[in-house]
Amino acid sequence: MTSRRYVQLDVFADRPGAGNPLAVVLDAAGLDDAAMQAIARWTRLPETTFVFAPTQPGASYAVRMFSPRREVPFAGHPSVGTAHVVLDAGLATPIDGLLVQEGVAGLLPLRVEDDAAGRTIAVRTPRAHVVKTGDTHSDEVLRAAIANLPAGRLPPALMDGGRRWWLVEVRDEAALRAAAPDWTAISALATATDSMGVCAYARAQGQGYDLAVRAFVGAPAAFEDAASGAANATLAAWLTSRDALPGRNGQYIVSQGREVGYDARLQLRVDEAGDVWSGGHVRTIVTGRIDW
Amino acid sequence: MQRTSHRYLQVDVFADRPGGGNPLGVVLDAADWATSRMQAFAAWTNLSETIFFLPPTTPDASYRIRIFTPRQELPFAGHPSVGAAWVALQAGLVTASDRLVQECAAGLLPVRIDDSGPQPTIQLRTPQAHLVETPPLPALDAVLSSLPIAGLRPGLWNNGPSWWLVELEDAAAVRHLVPDLAAIAALTTATGAVGLSVFGRTPPGSDHHLAVRAFCPADNIPEDPVTGSVNACIAAALHAAGALPGDSGCYLASQGRELGRDGRVRVQVDDESQVWIGGQVQLVIDGQVTW
Repeated sequence: MTSRRYVQLDVFADRPGAGNPLAVVLDAAGLDDAAMQAIARWTRLPETTFVFAPTQPGASYAVRMFSPRREVPFAGHPSVGTAHVVLDAGLATPIDGLLVQEGVAGLLPLRVEDDAAGRTIAVRTPRAHVVKTGDTHSDEVLRAAIANLPAGRLPPALMDGGRRWWLVEVRDEAALRAAAPDWTAISALATATDSMGVCAYARAQGQGYDLAVRAFVGAPAAFEDAASGAANATLAAWLTSRDALPGRNGQYIVSQGREVGYDARLQLRVDEAGDVWSGGHVRTIVTGRIDW
Repeated sequence: MQRTSHRYLQVDVFADRPGGGNPLGVVLDAADWATSRMQAFAAWTNLSETIFFLPPTTPDASYRIRIFTPRQELPFAGHPSVGAAWVALQAGLVTASDRLVQECAAGLLPVRIDDSGPQPTIQLRTPQAHLVETPPLPALDAVLSSLPIAGLRPGLWNNGPSWWLVELEDAAAVRHLVPDLAAIAALTTATGAVGLSVFGRTPPGSDHHLAVRAFCPADNIPEDPVTGSVNACIAAALHAAGALPGDSGCYLASQGRELGRDGRVRVQVDDESQVWIGGQVQLVIDGQVTW
């Protein structure tokens, strides 16, 4: 058994418990795939990441990410949280405000900034493209899945940003927050279109965020996600393509997860090159050591 | 709410090695935590249970805990109590003794710590189990028709929760079983049971006496990794039939291997027919929590 540094975090959180939990194991050299998978199953958190020394030129550190079931090539909230721990541990220093994460999916930049409420970290997300827009008149499966979401201005769209999501605008925030998902119909849509499920959104005003989001993941998982970095990134790309971005200067703030006991804040930014950055604040909840 | 730092442990209960058993979150010195704060943190850890140490309210108690699942507070549960006794010993709240008393919402509970081996073993006295009489049930026949039943007559036992217990012809049959979860859910729902457990004896020379599995599909838990109450019910049923394995009322059960775990539950039926369950506990995470 070896003792390693261990941190448990709340990502996209302005207060403890509001964001998406993550475990990070530092000094991961010596752990094989089976041990990493076993630890990720044992923590019972959405993801557990393992930090290694980088192997590629230009990389600040290397990371591998595991859900309780399998290795994940890329995910937003584990990338943001891991960078936070690496900075606190002094394992890497940003160059021109950027860290470079070496992951299974390749090298990805993270932007580190300070704002009034502390450090924010954002990851550049893979480019997303529109697969198709949906027509609820002709598409019965789509119509059933979003029947209880009062329609907003934009049509439903299927976007692919590594994983596929249906993005569905709802008339207003109150209607979005009150909606009860039809899990059977959402799962049928997810299966029929090889997508994660439905990411519903509505514009918001006057409460410190610009967009309210709810992400419904279809079967077999069938749950509402607390804070989805990747789904929000595909949503930003969709809104950009329709010239319908909320907020100002390509930046806006999302509230997600309130309906499942959380209340995450995600900061989305679309830069001049059209790349989407997904980030926010991170809170350290547990610091210690893990013996495995 | 003031955000303060407290010692936080995550231990593995019924485990002879890290990752073998059932995880438990432990906050020490939680005297200044409000109930809502405990519940919020227990929801966030996502562990089956998180416990909080508090000063006892009676001189008869050695220590006091409150037990929370992500959704609610529990009056009592087996694996958190075994983990609590071990942590109380490690943190110096108690010294090893065979007469410790745990205070929890369900009341005062005797706990023993056997410190004679290389690692301490915790033993917890469990509530008395009894057989629940049931009428002929088509839902039971539907479950049993596909199982290689042997030994004890299948029955519904209660020691707080209710469990259907079905002995199979041997440990190999238990390990290889592909359960019909829909049929089990129908049976447990119809009879108010938490789940159904199968168990079987191992051949001579094994390092454990019984292989155990527990299925709770109606609670959305297809299979539970390590289950204190099930093992206590099985011991009571075997004792009642004069069919206890092992020596002098003591035996070792293995559960969770089919889920990638390797839970080890030490069971003892004492001279007064009381069932004690326990095992070893591994310290996996040791740190501070700020919440």
